[in-house]
Amino acid sequence: MIFLAFTILSPLLAGLTILVLRRASEALGLAGAALGLVGALGLLATAGSGDVQAVLTGLPDMPLRLIATPLTAVLALLVATVAGFVLTYATGYMAKDPEKPRFFGTLLLFVTAMQGLVLAGDWIMLLAAWEMIGFASYLLIGFWYRRDGVASAATRAFLYTRSADLGLYLGAFLLIGVAGTSEISATLATTGTPALIAGLLLLVAAMGKSAQVPLQDWLQRAMAGPTPVSALLHSATLVAAGAILLIRVAPMLPGGALLAIGIVGGVTAVVAGLIALAERDLKRLLAASTSSQYGLMLVAVGAGAPVAALLHLIAHAAIKSSLFLGAGVFQHDRDSTTMDAVAGAGRARPGIFAGFAIAALALAGIPPLAGFFSKDAIIAAALTSPSAAWLLPLTLAGTVLTGAYMGRALRVLWHGDPGAKPGTIPLMATGMAGLVALAVVLGATFGPLEQMLNAEMPEFGLAVPALGLAAALSGLALGWLVPVTGLLRGLLPWAERGFVVAGGMDALMVRPALAIAAGCERLERRLYDGVLALGRASLSLGQSARRADRDAIDAAIFGLVDRTVMLGARARRLQSGFIHRELAITTIGIAVIIVALFAAPYLV
Amino acid sequence: MLPLLSIATFLPILGGLVLMALPDRSARVTHGVSIGVTGLTFLITLAIWARGIVPGGFAQIEEISWIPAIGAAYRLGLDGLSLPLVLLTSLLFLLSAIYSARVTERAATYVVLMLMLETASLGTFMALDGLLFYIFFEVSLVGMYFMIAGWGYEDRQRAALMFFLYTLLGSLPLLLAILGLYLSSGSFDMRVWIDAPPLTGIAAMLALIAMLFTFAVKIPAFPVHTWLPAAHVQAPTAGSVILAGVMLKFGTYGLIRFALQMTPEAFTRAGVVILVFGVVSAIYGAFAALAQSDLKKMIAYTSVNHMGYVVMGVAVAALATDPAMRVVALDGATLQMISHGIVTGALFFLVGMLQDRAHVRDMGDFGGLLGQVPWLGWAFILSAFASLGLPGLAHFPAEFQVFLATLNAQPWAVVAILAIVVTAGLYLRSVAAVFLGELNQKWAAMPDLDRREMLVIVPLLILTILIGVAPAWLLNMIHTTMASLSF
Repeated sequence: MIFLAFTILSPLLAGLTILVLRRASEALGLAGAALGLVGALGLLATAGSGDVQAVLTGLPDMPLRLIATPLTAVLALLVATVAGFVLTYATGYMAKDPEKPRFFGTLLLFVTAMQGLVLAGDWIMLLAAWEMIGFASYLLIGFWYRRDGVASAATRAFLYTRSADLGLYLGAFLLIGVAGTSEISATLATTGTPALIAGLLLLVAAMGKSAQVPLQDWLQRAMAGPTPVSALLHSATLVAAGAILLIRVAPMLPGGALLAIGIVGGVTAVVAGLIALAERDLKRLLAASTSSQYGLMLVAVGAGAPVAALLHLIAHAAIKSSLFLGAGVFQHDRDSTTMDAVAGAGRARPGIFAGFAIAALALAGIPPLAGFFSKDAIIAAALTSPSAAWLLPLTLAGTVLTGAYMGRALRVLWHGDPGAKPGTIPLMATGMAGLVALAVVLGATFGPLEQMLNAEMPEFGLAVPALGLAAALSGLALGWLVPVTGLLRGLLPWAERGFVVAGGMDALMVRPALAIAAGCERLERRLYDGVLALGRASLSLGQSARRADRDAIDAAIFGLVDRTVMLGARARRLQSGFIHRELAITTIGIAVIIVALFAAPYLV
Repeated sequence: MLPLLSIATFLPILGGLVLMALPDRSARVTHGVSIGVTGLTFLITLAIWARGIVPGGFAQIEEISWIPAIGAAYRLGLDGLSLPLVLLTSLLFLLSAIYSARVTERAATYVVLMLMLETASLGTFMALDGLLFYIFFEVSLVGMYFMIAGWGYEDRQRAALMFFLYTLLGSLPLLLAILGLYLSSGSFDMRVWIDAPPLTGIAAMLALIAMLFTFAVKIPAFPVHTWLPAAHVQAPTAGSVILAGVMLKFGTYGLIRFALQMTPEAFTRAGVVILVFGVVSAIYGAFAALAQSDLKKMIAYTSVNHMGYVVMGVAVAALATDPAMRVVALDGATLQMISHGIVTGALFFLVGMLQDRAHVRDMGDFGGLLGQVPWLGWAFILSAFASLGLPGLAHFPAEFQVFLATLNAQPWAVVAILAIVVTAGLYLRSVAAVFLGELNQKWAAMPDLDRREMLVIVPLLILTILIGVAPAWLLNMIHTTMASLSF
């Protein structure tokens, strides 16, 4: 319990304090991240001997739950670790920004939401954290909101993921309805058609968050945010949410859903790999690479080996954040991340370049770096899966492409004019060094991790590692030696445009939505005019009534008045002035009324 | 025991009468009286809240005989449906009074109208007598008519007349339904009508149709919603807040209190039709809002969308076979009314504050204001995300419950969930257009929120977060009644 509180509340309280005090953001931020890390370590230590749970009041009969199982505790530790290093780096990167408090505050709220998602024990908590992550990343991507294109990048990121989130909403509603409870572990017992439908709906949600084809476009544009944001978003957090969701519900997924997940992942690994290879901007290359690596994780889930996906998620988190932090340093030096601008930037900073290169090799899958082991696990899973005929070629192609685009990035950074010697950057280097070290050594933890999760991967002798290494090396060689125009040939222009089909999402979703809106507006005008016309009609009815008044009724009334006057003259004779006579008439009148009243029930 | 319900109901109008009798009716004194009276009323409603409600019926009943010959009496009372609405009403009137403190044009008349409206609104939610309810219901129209016609913008006369005619004609069928209920039961006591619904068969169906017509105009549901954007655009800010925050709830309150509770059988039979109206309103409202560039009109249309969810929730409750889902749907629908009052209230206040500064409301006229007016900007962003249903903010728990029940009772109707993407799109677009990007130099001297404005907006933002993060304090009250509601 205490560790759960530490893990979630320390970043939350630190973030809120920063936003309120608006000072000491670095110190508070690092303290919050450190305490969160302590909490996550504690969770991992205690979760081994039994789940840690906290039940909070939520909706009636649907309490909110936080739960630390070995799986969720590992993920929480991963998030806390990466967040700690990225924050360290950010203290250097954002040192001169006048709106630091807003940056650090939002970043910590983002970390809080991510921990909430990772540790969620019920669907409402998961959904809430899921959407809060979207909101926090909207704020972070839009951090420099005054700049050109930033608002639209942030808007796009939120809208893409929100559209896909409908899958999560519907999937969660379905599972809660079928199981009668909102507790995730209880709903995972769902079987049959509901499980298949829910699985496919959750896949849609995961595709949005993990930027899978065809919803990958927003991620590359999300580069509009500060680099530490990209490093965090692309490694253990925002993008990871989709894969984490699928890993967590994997026990429930039936064959059909698994196949769909594997195919989506495999296609993304290849398509996004091609986009990355064709990219002319270093950060956008890394972003496309994120999609493609998450594609590989989905392949693992689809192959029925979620633990392989988890291993790759962990390895990728350390690797990709290292790469982004490195790219951020080059961006700092050259004020841009286009390939032309950063050419030779690596040679000017050999230390940072070495870190970047180690991470790149790790991502490609060179032993003994972390990516080698996790990629092997995925290849092994694809090989043994019932749909190996689909998944294995896609996985290998994805692996070759990974080597190719990383080889190309390394070449660009190394060749070219190194320029003047840049100044030192101790904080940024520290943050990055920590993550690179993780990218190197994490592979050693995979064995114990598998044991802890009771999901050991089968051994394959030398065949699988050899296959993986061959793919990685050939990819790296191709990327380093062959220019990209030679590699992609006819595909190049298409890949450069991100494989946009039929105008992309804008044409397929935004324009129809706006057209419907315009249609509603036209209908709205018509309805409004209709009501006004109705009003006018009744008005003219009123006017003709007035005319009738004047011509007919007034005439009638004045006529009546004239006649009444004459009648009055005659009636004067009745009113003789004698009291007894008038009294008699009155009495008769009243009697008539009373008789009429009493008689009425019999007459009706 | 003090009759707190009656005191809360009539204190505002008494305050108004006292104000009319005062020799000094300067703006200062007037607004002092207004804030004092609405503040006191708010405190009294808090005391009413403290006295609490009971499951399975009405609490804190106050009854005085009135026209015994026809079984009409002065009866007030509360349950978990009306108490949250009463609290919302007294809060929004207090905040409107604070916000309106800058109105100097015929201030005394304005304040008296507002106070009259508050009495009518509180009375509508607390009346337990059919005749009394109808009187309060109608009086509120008059107040709002004069409010729009007297203190609105350019085209206010026509908008006010349209509002008045629309809702007046709309409410006549309700009178027929009330008379029908009376004739078949011999009483105007709403508790009698609820405990043993007097109408059956075709009579019940006719009464239901009549009531639905009235409440659909008030809610408003497609296609009788056209008065809403017109009235909102022209109404003064406080009028918009009261109209959206309080008066639209007359419709949804009536939908549950009258249509569902008094003609339950017919309601279930017509449930699918009602659900269709809810779904269409929700989707149509969202798309119509997407087409607007006038901020106020856009928010007005999102009301059609949000109230559509309420209609869906009530219809799903009638149609659901699983009793747990019925309660979930009704909890969600009722909470949605409160959330909408708070969030949309905040949005109308914020747009009003923007208009006070710029005298325009079109998104395209602004740009990059976040750096210039950070408080206003962040308040708007928070409220906008609340309105688009972000978890952790007020609309999420309500919409979650409505959609959860919908998917499990009438799966097709869940298509309305598409609207949450459309509202996300339209709010993000407006935030980007008004607050992000390069600062439009025209507004380089725009001041941020002052103390009075903060006082108005901050409580609403706090409630938005509080309901989103920990809805239990409010939902438990609603749940107490909804779990024991028999229909």
